[in-house]
Amino acid sequence: MGFIRLIIFGFLLLSVIYVAISIYSRSIRREKLEDRWAEEHPGDMESPERDAYIETGMTEYQNSIRPKLVLLVYIIPTIAVGLILYLTNAN
Amino acid sequence: MRTAKNVILGLVAFVILALFHYVLPQHDVARITGTEIIRMDFSRVNRLFFAQKDSGNVELTTRDVRLINTVRKKTFLLGFIQRKKEGVMVYRNEDTGWIWPPYFKFDSADLQAEALANLSSPDNEQWVVITHYGWRNRFFTIYPNAVAIRPVAGPDVTVIPWFNIFFFVFLGVAVLFVRAMWLQFRERTVDPALEDTRDAWEKVDAYADEKRGRLSRWFGTWRGK
Repeated sequence: MGFIRLIIFGFLLLSVIYVAISIYSRSIRREKLEDRWAEEHPGDMESPERDAYIETGMTEYQNSIRPKLVLLVYIIPTIAVGLILYLTNAN
Repeated sequence: MRTAKNVILGLVAFVILALFHYVLPQHDVARITGTEIIRMDFSRVNRLFFAQKDSGNVELTTRDVRLINTVRKKTFLLGFIQRKKEGVMVYRNEDTGWIWPPYFKFDSADLQAEALANLSSPDNEQWVVITHYGWRNRFFTIYPNAVAIRPVAGPDVTVIPWFNIFFFVFLGVAVLFVRAMWLQFRERTVDPALEDTRDAWEKVDAYADEKRGRLSRWFGTWRGK
């Protein structure tokens, strides 16, 4: 029973963290793209080219390995629990 | 106002520190003088400070609790400075199971056997390092829970609290990360939204001013008659 409760609540908590970190990472990426565009095209704050540049950058980001690394949020605590479980109970 | 704020912040800090002091592992240098099993009838006060039945069993209001009797080296400053003085200490030995605190301890019976295997006698002193969490309180009958027992050569050992070092470093990194996330969220989401609301509010305000002007003019037709 305790094990099931741990899995359910642990999953919910980690999902909250996962969503928060994904949003944060995407936001950082978008800001970087905006800054880069502003550096290369001073004065251009709103144009279809700028939107296209940023959207391409974001698609590239979505297809790269970086967003998948956020999945470590689920993997690392699982490993940590396994490690603590082993270290506490092995003798 | 500022005093009230400081008092509340102080209380919150105190509760968090007390929680850490209760939950994080600490190490005692001790020699084991015996083990014991007593039946515990928990009250509402001390129930909170005990874990639960052995993980395969069923929970009843009353149960037997394993205890480990020891003589340990007294310390200053949360165990950072060792003293020459000794004093008795009694640990409970309970499964924490899958729940709180997250030690995932299921081997309390094995730990009891380990304690007996390292039993100390007056003419043959056996020293051990006992890892435990929790507090001892005589008035409420609360015992710290022993998590691990490691035999050592003598009483003069330095124990480096690796887990606690790692934990606090991790906590600091996590706090900085959450702060960075919050700042980013405010910069990119809250502030633009606030600006939008401000613009919208100014429109509403202007509209209300105009309306009020009309309304008060209408009221004005009532007055002064």
